[in-house]
Amino acid sequence: MSAAAEGHEAQSQDILAKVHHDLNVWNFPDNGDVDFGFGPINLKTIVMTWIAMILVIIFTVSATRNMQLKRPGKLQLMVEEVFLFLRGLAVENLGTKKANSMMFLVFSLFIYLLFSNLLGLVPTMMSPTADVNTTLGMSISVFILAQVLGLYYKGLGYFKHFVQPFVFFLPINIVEELSKPLTHGFRIFGNIYAGEVLIAVLLGLIPITATIFGGFIASVVWLSFSIFVGFVQAFIFTMLTIVYISMSSAESH
Amino acid sequence: MGGILDSLGINQTLVAQVFNFVLLLIFLRIVVYPHIVRMLDERQKYIENTVNAAEEERKQAEDLRQQYLAEMQKSKDEARDIIQKASKAGEEQAREIIEAAKAESNRIKESALEDINREKEKAVSELREQVATLSILVASKIVNEKITADIQRGMIDEFIKEAGDLPC
Repeated sequence: MSAAAEGHEAQSQDILAKVHHDLNVWNFPDNGDVDFGFGPINLKTIVMTWIAMILVIIFTVSATRNMQLKRPGKLQLMVEEVFLFLRGLAVENLGTKKANSMMFLVFSLFIYLLFSNLLGLVPTMMSPTADVNTTLGMSISVFILAQVLGLYYKGLGYFKHFVQPFVFFLPINIVEELSKPLTHGFRIFGNIYAGEVLIAVLLGLIPITATIFGGFIASVVWLSFSIFVGFVQAFIFTMLTIVYISMSSAESH
Repeated sequence: MGGILDSLGINQTLVAQVFNFVLLLIFLRIVVYPHIVRMLDERQKYIENTVNAAEEERKQAEDLRQQYLAEMQKSKDEARDIIQKASKAGEEQAREIIEAAKAESNRIKESALEDINREKEKAVSELREQVATLSILVASKIVNEKITADIQRGMIDEFIKEAGDLPC
């Protein structure tokens, strides 16, 4: 690497660090610096998760409080439409009975991920899903749930699919099974984290490019695209949850 | 293993996040989810009921319409029947009246003929009487008094009888 490129990279790192430093108006400590006695934790992620949880609770409770049968309000209609859309997906993949028993998980996952993804677009806030701990924790939970449901619905016959079509395929099948939670968790993390980094970079570039490329226009365009990405990633995570559960609990494998 | 996790930035936050999410899940399951499901079920039932009711009402309206049509047809038929009956009765009555009139006129004609005959008979017999009387008067004038009234009478009766046999 030439000295000029190295200097360039150091400069962009400086810009990013400066933006992060400027945006940290709440003075959160860096990741892993806080330890309440049971290991290092990321305080900012957890606080943002609580904010997202509170927003989800406020949204859903205000939407479902005082529900109307004949003239639903706007919030109620929104929640109902999301619910019906997800239930359609779940019924298609799982069958009505299993879908009804899994619906609360699917609905909660979607709403929570959506709010988490969109929270990062608010200045000085951060998406809980931009931390790999959140996404990996959820994907591993979904993975364990899928295994448990597979055992519950199919009994010990569930383990048969590890040795299909031959016993020889056992390690491959295990790797395939283990790769599911990893890709599941890292997909949403990568998308949301990249979106946040790019937001910070575009903010840092404003002083440099303001006169050449129109300054904050690129930042605004990227923010609006991030809204779309937030929806899509929440939907994909939910959809994959349904698919994994249906794969592990399907009657015929 | 620990090195990999550290370099990925994975630490105890993962457990906390799972705990947070499970907490949110339980909250939503208890507080929010039943309301949504109940509302959707109620709406589905409401729509089903409304559709069924509309279907029922449509059927009833159709039945009612058929009933009205049938009744209208029936009353039309009845009206036609009544008119037919009335016109037939009128014709009947007219014919009866004409028959009665004919019978009456016949009866009147018959009685008139009878009267005429009777009067004729009466006139004939009266004429006979008068002729007889006149004959007696004439005979008594012409014939002298030698002929008695009884003989005279016998002769005249005979004469009248002869005269009466003649067609008059």
